[in-house]
Amino acid sequence: MAGHFNFKASVIWESIPILLVGIKFTIFITVFGLVIGFCLGAVAGLGRTSRNPLFYRAAGFYIESIRGTPLMVQVMFIYFGLPLALNMRVPPLAAGIGAIAINSGAYIAEIVRGSIQSIDIGQMEAGRSIGLTHFKTMMYIIWPQAFRRMIPPLGNQFIISLKDTSLLVVIGVGELTRTGQEIIAVNFRAFEVWLTVAVMYLALTMTIAKILRILERRLEIR
Amino acid sequence: MIKIRNLHKSFEALEVLKGIDLHVRTGEVVVIIGPSGSGKSTLLRCINRLEKLTSGEIIVDEYDINDKNTDINLIRTEAGMVFQQFNLFPHMTALKNVTLGPMKVRGISRREAEQLGMELLEKVGLKDKAHCHPNQLSGGQKQRVAIARSLALKPKVMLFDEPTSALDPELVGEVLEVMKTLAREGMTMIVVSHEMGFAREVADRVIFMDEGMIVEQNTPRELFTNPRNERTISFLSKVRSPIE
Repeated sequence: MAGHFNFKASVIWESIPILLVGIKFTIFITVFGLVIGFCLGAVAGLGRTSRNPLFYRAAGFYIESIRGTPLMVQVMFIYFGLPLALNMRVPPLAAGIGAIAINSGAYIAEIVRGSIQSIDIGQMEAGRSIGLTHFKTMMYIIWPQAFRRMIPPLGNQFIISLKDTSLLVVIGVGELTRTGQEIIAVNFRAFEVWLTVAVMYLALTMTIAKILRILERRLEIR
Repeated sequence: MIKIRNLHKSFEALEVLKGIDLHVRTGEVVVIIGPSGSGKSTLLRCINRLEKLTSGEIIVDEYDINDKNTDINLIRTEAGMVFQQFNLFPHMTALKNVTLGPMKVRGISRREAEQLGMELLEKVGLKDKAHCHPNQLSGGQKQRVAIARSLALKPKVMLFDEPTSALDPELVGEVLEVMKTLAREGMTMIVVSHEMGFAREVADRVIFMDEGMIVEQNTPRELFTNPRNERTISFLSKVRSPIE
């Protein structure tokens, strides 16, 4: 009983308004997750360049444990596991943002570390030689130069994290993928709906890439 | 101005400085020559503690640089450093390179700092390049900006670590001219360099270092025309061009 597949474009037009609600959540989770993730990553990345052994090891522990475990497990641990230990409910949206932040932070930390270490040692020496403290040299001299070098790999990570938000279906956050699932549960048009969802993700990732290219050009050393 | 007593410096098992004693008077210009690996640069870098001493004592302008109570950032403003590779900050204009120290270390206002910065850039002949980024400057111009950047902290002594070694030959002169001007104005200077002409013209004293020790020191005239130590003679015969 080979079914006859016929493509129904009208399904796509009907799905779009509903999917746009999901997209809002996807964008919201991605933006907040990455802003927090960047802060975590900056701190942990600086930790990996620090000579303070405690700071260095704490950052190492964070990076290794997050990079070494699947995001899916982290999501479920935060949403289903932590509430039992803390004896409090974690709203799915907060759990989702938290998971994306903690996960991206570990990868961003390595980007930050690599960029900082790629700056010539002479820059630190020159900064120190005019009497700047280590901290001020980092702030005014090393960081601005390192930040430029971070942009391409950060773009990569931003795109990965955006796509990773689709894993949050397991905790029922109403983001784009979840919304797609819900529509299909009603109309069974998997082909049209997943195609639309895929194109929407593509549009989002291409937007990120474009924004970062503009940022990179703006920060270029003239 | 600078008193160094029995300075030793090791990098792990490798002993680079093996007991250096050196006094530099205020206003004196000392040129240090010697083969590569002889410890010249390390000695210079120890003076503003870019390298930690293994043992010994360095006094800069009455401050013991190894004393825990000494503010090392203060010492570094007193002893300006000029690097072989310039190490200008590539994301800042020439003027910003010069004003960063006065503003962030001394805490003076932007207006004052920029006025000082322009004066110093004029002094090194680069007033018209104030708003250029380092990648728009030639090597000689970069090094002159680097000198201005150090001078902006009003140091009492200037340390030059092979300031012309990374330059194309035709750009060496402009940097040496700036250094000569400083010397004439009475700046205390320690210069690691192979510019024998500069040493002969400007130095009050030339020091020959080899294998982590000061082998011989004298006025340039004496050291160049009448070297006493075997190693000095051998070194000088190698670096002198046949025309001289």
